[in-house]
Amino acid sequence: MTLFVLYLLATLDGALCGFRAFAGRSALIHKRAYYSHALLIGTVAAQVASFLSLLVLSVAVALSSHRAELRGDLQAAAGRMLWVFLPYAAAVCLNLALRALPSTDIRAATSVMALGPLTGLRPFVMIAGVLYGILSSRLLETKFIGIFVLAAMLLLETVLSRIASRRQLRELDSVA
Amino acid sequence: MFSAWNPSQPEISDLIIQHDPATLERLPVRKADVRAVFQKFGNRKALRVINALPERDGIFDSAAIDRLFVIVHSEMQRLAEEFYHGGRVWELLQPVILAIRASGVAKNDRLRVVDIGCGIGYTVRWLAARSPLAAQGVDLVGMDLNSTLIREATRLARAENLPCRFVHGDAFSPANSGHIYLSTGVLHHFRGDDLANFFRRHELPETQAFLYYDFQPSFLAGPGSWFFHIIRMRTALARHDGVLSALRVHSAQTLVTAARSASPGFASGMYGRQIWRTPLPRVFHSLIGLRRPLIPEFRRALGHRIGRLDELA
Repeated sequence: MTLFVLYLLATLDGALCGFRAFAGRSALIHKRAYYSHALLIGTVAAQVASFLSLLVLSVAVALSSHRAELRGDLQAAAGRMLWVFLPYAAAVCLNLALRALPSTDIRAATSVMALGPLTGLRPFVMIAGVLYGILSSRLLETKFIGIFVLAAMLLLETVLSRIASRRQLRELDSVA
Repeated sequence: MFSAWNPSQPEISDLIIQHDPATLERLPVRKADVRAVFQKFGNRKALRVINALPERDGIFDSAAIDRLFVIVHSEMQRLAEEFYHGGRVWELLQPVILAIRASGVAKNDRLRVVDIGCGIGYTVRWLAARSPLAAQGVDLVGMDLNSTLIREATRLARAENLPCRFVHGDAFSPANSGHIYLSTGVLHHFRGDDLANFFRRHELPETQAFLYYDFQPSFLAGPGSWFFHIIRMRTALARHDGVLSALRVHSAQTLVTAARSASPGFASGMYGRQIWRTPLPRVFHSLIGLRRPLIPEFRRALGHRIGRLDELA
């Protein structure tokens, strides 16, 4: 269950990374299809990152001489990570929900005062969450898997930004 | 104070594209000349941005600069979208148009709204896409001195079949003058006498109103803008100029004084400076100018938003 919640959070994070990577690269007015596509690419990228993390985890468990202990240690580390990631995700979701209110001031305020700063905090939250999860774990394998997951999450936005940037430059070239 | 935050210096984008004021023809710009401006201010950040810009034989590569400008303006549009700028302009434009129509002025003319320094035309395209203005026969026109941005605005409007047009030229020339002028983030580019000269040009017989939006100066403008540009903007040019523009903005007092003295045919004042009735400043404030006979109907048309309007005089 804990791992499934982490997976859901990674998927949400991937979708929002996709949105951010593509935002500001299309100057059209009607952009529902464009942003749907961005969210989809982010979601797919998060699946790839999650699959790779699961693969590393499975290999580590399979090769371990103390599987039960490793499973328990991983569960405990993942549970600790949720203490950092869940409040952060809740703050993001709350501010996204506030944008449904029919007030331009409230909507703009969510960007300036919440979603912007939360975006800036994202890498630090990722690092803090994973470190909080693995620092008190007993096994080296758990620490290694935690660091792998952290690297995958941090790389996600960079990779998506590169994809979005290349697409934008290709479009500009085709117009020119 | 950081040297990049000195509001006395121009923005890099003000210097790297130059046009002949008479013919609007693009002029070659020497990198060394632009560097010299920022060297004087000790602005190493600006110098790094300038050094990275492509050149040929010491002259900025105009095609590369144009491409960069289109990218930067797309990023700027994202900020406008986040601030719901289109909706904010529509909120104020609607009562102005109602007042003009009620007054019977421009009865026989097609009402023309001109966005000065429109860039890639976000405001005009938003109004064309999301408001009923075009269907009501209002001519929505975006104007800019930069032909590349005008070409891009036209391309974007065509891509979505939007009923608006974009013109490379002088917004106050007889062929292009408007009944209502708009602008966003343009006023702070006019310094000293240029600001008064800009307002002086509004005294055209057909011109009935102007609505000018710009960042509002506050103690939060510098750090807030810096942080937001780090988070949201990708190009070094946008990050440098965006922060500097938030620091170069004119106070409401400066804008109102300049408008009232240079455009005496209009009653002018500020709109929407605070969030609701709190002391919290909005990121953008707007300067509004109206022909005096329009004021009573405009105030009526504003309805419950009248509290956002300062004195018009």
